Amino acid sequence: MITRPLIAVAAVVGLSLSAAAFAEIDAEATFKENDCHKCHHATKAKKGPSLAKISARYKEKKLDEKEAVKHMTAGKKVKLDDGSEEDHKIIDTKDVAVQTAVAKWMLTR
Amino acid sequence: MKKSALAFGLTVIAVGCSNVATGPQAIDWNKIPATKLTLFSPGQSSYQWLRSDAHKGAAKETARGDSCTSCHDDPKEEQLQGAKILRGNHPLEPQIAALKGRNGFIYVNAQAAYDDKNAYLRFQWRPQNHAGTEHPYYRFDGKEWKKYGETVWNKSVKEGKTPALYESRFSVMLDDGKVPGFAQQGCWQTCHTGMIDMPNEAKTEDLAANALLKGKADLRKFVPSTRSNPMDWKSGKSAEEIAKLKEAGGYLDLFQWRGARSHPAGMADDGYVLEYRNSDAGKNMWSGNFDSKSKLPKFMWDEKKVGYKAITVDKLHKGLNYLDPASNAVAFDPNAGWKEGDMLPSNTVSRSHAEGSAADNNTIATWKDGVWTLVLVRPLGLANKDDKPLKAGGVYNVGFAVHDGDIDGRGHLVSYVKTLGLGAKADIQAVKLN
Repeated sequence: MITRPLIAVAAVVGLSLSAAAFAEIDAEATFKENDCHKCHHATKAKKGPSLAKISARYKEKKLDEKEAVKHMTAGKKVKLDDGSEEDHKIIDTKDVAVQTAVAKWMLTR
Repeated sequence: MKKSALAFGLTVIAVGCSNVATGPQAIDWNKIPATKLTLFSPGQSSYQWLRSDAHKGAAKETARGDSCTSCHDDPKEEQLQGAKILRGNHPLEPQIAALKGRNGFIYVNAQAAYDDKNAYLRFQWRPQNHAGTEHPYYRFDGKEWKKYGETVWNKSVKEGKTPALYESRFSVMLDDGKVPGFAQQGCWQTCHTGMIDMPNEAKTEDLAANALLKGKADLRKFVPSTRSNPMDWKSGKSAEEIAKLKEAGGYLDLFQWRGARSHPAGMADDGYVLEYRNSDAGKNMWSGNFDSKSKLPKFMWDEKKVGYKAITVDKLHKGLNYLDPASNAVAFDPNAGWKEGDMLPSNTVSRSHAEGSAADNNTIATWKDGVWTLVLVRPLGLANKDDKPLKAGGVYNVGFAVHDGDIDGRGHLVSYVKTLGLGAKADIQAVKLN
């Protein structure tokens, strides 16, 4: 049986003592509810790079989840395989704890 | 002994399939592989919406013909999308109040077999609501016969003036590879803005102005190739061009099993989608049961045969309340001593009424422990000009829909496109019977 890793946000972010900070966030569910999986598969390239590739790139460049959060909240242009550019979708939550949880989850694929 | 229509229960076996030894009842379905399908609520996701910026990051891909599942490929994609669309604030479901408490998806077990004469498509599903064999009635209020019951999103239902009463359906849309885009995007090729309860619902005057749609009360499914600009339903091609498309097979076959209007006859209706959602040539198994001039029903139950001439509200959902002029109904008698609360079905349904190409589909449907088991019997090699002939070795693109819980139109749960193979590799593989 596959279980989703639940990330205890209070431990991850160490932010203020908001109610959300104590809640457990299902990062994978948030990732999918935002349709991120439409472009980012765990292992294979789709419209966007796979999570494995993103994770490897971040490791190589010594980037962390803060950079990933920037990427998913800035709506910057991204270059696609066919050479065209498109605005990256902005995650549908302003909760930094949730954003960070999603970023952490992605970078551990 | 008087035979009650209500006492028939909900199981109906098609008359043409009644030989238990050799007919479809003899198939051992335990030996036929099953495919688990998940159908989900599409909300108002139309052909046009899919190609708009609202379909985030996918408008261009959809327009170039990519398949839905090239992006929507999560093992639980349908559950995810269905739940999201019905979560309460999704822009694709503006009528969420009428759908409160509904699941965004449903599982369907699909199996298929064939012999030298027929294909047998078997589906099992557990409706969230009820069997769905009731449809609107005419009710006597002491003075007049008035319509009683409607779909959940009808204004009168929302206002509590009439109950939600509408038949459930199981639908199959089938393509033999001749409708561009169907293999990739399935039913979403046929669902468009302007249709009933879709954005910019077509107005009567707009319909009248369109040569293809004169006399139609509403806009229904169509395939994109019937429009000069598929993004605009008003851009219909000429009747000659549509005829050529039909001749070339550029239409979809559409079978609809209906809980009230086909099931009691042991049939599913047979239609096709081209410039409109059309019925096949001939006659369907159902017919309206109201005379618009006299404002009276046309038929009532034959009291001598079934023990009553009408039902009352307490009999709803307690059996098959069908009215068949060939077996249990007689001409309506306005002087039969009607009482307030007497009810008669708004349609009659009869195998004897069906004829021609519209009468091709037989069904065997059983309701047991809250689960429908439906076997659709479709003859192979049909030569009618509005049918897709099924043949051994053929592979077809198919889309499925379930209407559950007194709902019609876009209120269905739908599948991504699948393949059906008769003795050929496919998502649903029909096994040859000995």
